[in-house]
Amino acid sequence: MIRGRSPVVRSAIRAASPLALLVAAFLFFAGHNQPGGGFAAGLVIGAVVALRTVAGIGRPQDAARWFAVGTALVSAVALAPLLGGEPLLDQVIVSETLPLLGKVKSGSALVFDAGVTAIVVGLFVAVFDGLDADELGRDEVQV
Amino acid sequence: MIWILLVAHLVGVVAVLSLPNPRPAFAVALTAPLASAVWAASRLGAGEIDTARLDWVEGLDLAVSFRVGPLGALLAVLVSGIGVLIFVYGQGYFGGGDRRGFAATLLAFSGSMLGLVWADDVWTLFLFWEATSVTSFLLVGTKSTDSTAVTAARRALLVTVAGGLVLLAGLLVLVDVAGTATLSEMGPVTGDQATVAAVLILVGAFTKSAQLPFHVWLPGAMAAPTPVSAYLHSATMVKAGIVLIGVMHPVLGAVDIWSGLGVTVGLLTMFWGAIGALRHADAKLVLAWGTVSQLGLMTAMMSLGSGKAIFAAVSLVVAHAVFKAALFMAVGEIDIRTGSRDLRSLSGLRTSMPVAFWVMVFAGLSMAGVPPLLGFPAKEAAIEASLKESGASGDLILAGVTIGSVLTVAYTTRLVLALFSDKGGESTEVAPFRWAAAAPSVLLSALGIVGYVLAPSVTDWVVPAAATLETASAGYALLRWPGLDSTAFWISMGIVAGGAIIGAAAARHSSPPEPVGANNVDRLVDRTLDLAKWTTGRVQHGSLPIYLVVMALVASLAVIPFLGSIDTDQLHAWDRPLQAGMGTTVVAAAIAVAVIRSRIGAALALGVVGLGVSALFLIQGAPDLALTQLLVETVIVVGFVIGLGGLTTQFPANGFVWRSVRIGTAVLAGAAVTAALLASAEDIPSNREALTAAAVDEGGGNNLVNVILTDLRALDTLGEVVVLVVAAMGVLALSRADTARGGGAPLSDDVRKVRR
Repeated sequence: MIRGRSPVVRSAIRAASPLALLVAAFLFFAGHNQPGGGFAAGLVIGAVVALRTVAGIGRPQDAARWFAVGTALVSAVALAPLLGGEPLLDQVIVSETLPLLGKVKSGSALVFDAGVTAIVVGLFVAVFDGLDADELGRDEVQV
Repeated sequence: MIWILLVAHLVGVVAVLSLPNPRPAFAVALTAPLASAVWAASRLGAGEIDTARLDWVEGLDLAVSFRVGPLGALLAVLVSGIGVLIFVYGQGYFGGGDRRGFAATLLAFSGSMLGLVWADDVWTLFLFWEATSVTSFLLVGTKSTDSTAVTAARRALLVTVAGGLVLLAGLLVLVDVAGTATLSEMGPVTGDQATVAAVLILVGAFTKSAQLPFHVWLPGAMAAPTPVSAYLHSATMVKAGIVLIGVMHPVLGAVDIWSGLGVTVGLLTMFWGAIGALRHADAKLVLAWGTVSQLGLMTAMMSLGSGKAIFAAVSLVVAHAVFKAALFMAVGEIDIRTGSRDLRSLSGLRTSMPVAFWVMVFAGLSMAGVPPLLGFPAKEAAIEASLKESGASGDLILAGVTIGSVLTVAYTTRLVLALFSDKGGESTEVAPFRWAAAAPSVLLSALGIVGYVLAPSVTDWVVPAAATLETASAGYALLRWPGLDSTAFWISMGIVAGGAIIGAAAARHSSPPEPVGANNVDRLVDRTLDLAKWTTGRVQHGSLPIYLVVMALVASLAVIPFLGSIDTDQLHAWDRPLQAGMGTTVVAAAIAVAVIRSRIGAALALGVVGLGVSALFLIQGAPDLALTQLLVETVIVVGFVIGLGGLTTQFPANGFVWRSVRIGTAVLAGAAVTAALLASAEDIPSNREALTAAAVDEGGGNNLVNVILTDLRALDTLGEVVVLVVAAMGVLALSRADTARGGGAPLSDDVRKVRR
């Protein structure tokens, strides 16, 4: 496999990872008004996880933790309005003027989206963990 | 108050389970039933009605609803009152040891039963009905290392849960025809649909109340510890069916088949149960079969449905709960102090266990229907109710009740005589006396006499309860002394005399029969399991390609009903020429995937398909979809690269037939998806303006798609995300299981074939 054979690919993936994360962050915040959003951001991070798996470099391992964080965020946003007597999933929108960024408008949907991102990333971590153990791991043992 | 009491049971269960020290388990457990019993007792005959309702889904008429009237109060006194005594008795029966789990389960059962008798909504009733099935399963199987107990528990669960399903079907039909799920709002219904509902509900009641031919689970349930038997077979579990028939009487009583079916099955059960009780040699089994018999009488009376019959049924429920609990407790006491329940071997107990002896005598007399005990006026009411029926059917009912009662007296006489006779030889050794085990049974058997003396008060409690089911019950009373000119009295005396003679004669004989029916249930279960194993072996062969082919074929068939709704007028080749070019590319790439022999080449061609589709989305003006598709494709291609790592570079060659099947399936699946899309491509009036406005106002965003996902339809997203997490956890568990076994799940032949 690619692991351990192609330092070029390894270095490239290592260098590209932070950039890809930046793209993910952009997509995440852009989602409210432009194409993007939590799901897309999760997919980009998932692609990073996938590439790092291929190259055999460090990547998130604990899928359950991603799921836990994601589910907690999503449920919190869903249930919090109930405490205030509002309907389930009711959104709170905040509009603030921040230094550097200017007028920023956002809402609790952003947190909800962050939960979705975490869950999507968790899915990829889980799948590649499984694939890795199943395929690459065996390969290594045989070689 | 209703909520407080029901929640108290729940809290009690948790409290008992989390006790640091097992000693006070029973004492803690009995607080909730004690409170319920006291509250219910204060409302006996008061005529007030308490309700509690929590709407769940208003549009579907789903609610958790309770209503405690005279009947609810009376039954609650029995359920919780006897429950308290059972907990006291349990302390004495078990002596010591860690019984937290047992006490908690018993308390959960008690709470379920309470919810059942208080329910005012058919779904609430069903919920608690099932809860009693499950908790009683746990109770019967308490001795989980004893295979008899496990089989008995399984049998009880299967019979009662199967009955529960039938009941559910019946309730669905009933709610449909009655137009409401609230019991107190239902009016009488008739007609074909009502008949179906009546039969289904009766069958449900028969399974729970151990009527023929569903009685098979009850004698086996004697494998449970005696406190469980004393509770389940006196005041609770088995009474659920009787209560159900009662509360359904105002609604379904007018259906033709209702009383005919109920009375026939009831009287046959009364007869058959009594025969069983006469033949067994195990004192507890005699009581169990006696319970079956008594339940038959109650079922017959409750479904007979005349004012007097309902009154008799409610009186019998009360009297039976009191004397049967006492009898079971006494037999249990004999069991734990001598180590045996065998009528043929126990000897000299009259002098060595005088308390148990007198308890059995008085409770037995009450069961036989002899004055001055509470069983007498209740039995009198049943005979009078039968006398009131006219015509041939009336004669049959009277004959059935009379014969059943003679046999009841006979098995009672036999039980008491055989259990306490001197068999010659040495007396059975007896362990020391335990107060906690004896006191509740003494109290209950004394209640038989007190109930007789205070018959007018008991009447005041029973009559309003019966009247809530049938207004014609209002005029009756429990008579201490019906007078010498009463026909029923003479019949009653004849029953006692005849039964005593038969019983005395039978006391010396016993020929324990084979458990008719019970084996059949067990065999049925075993056969079903064998069949399941066989089917699983055939269906779950472990070949991934075959699974996929089957799934694709079945999914394709699902399209057939929608083929008719394809609107051919709307079809046109493309909106923009660019789409034609892109579409051709996608199709070409898809064909290439199928043709290319190299695995990595096929994966890349698949990527081309995905990117092409993504481009099609973009042309259509859906950048969000295009972006998502692009990202998904990227990840999938990388995934393929990883997945292909352990495989050969080329696809293996396939035989012509298998190849044709796969191609056929693929084409069919593709055609089905196309057809499904065509069928769903209707002219939906677009409400884009309204949605856009809503997105900006409520969601605070301009990307309509994302605002829909995270705000307007966020509930859908929430649901999808939860499904995703569940599926992913499954993936995780599977991959872990794989590595845990040393990196290699057992591979099917097909997968092994594919690899090298």
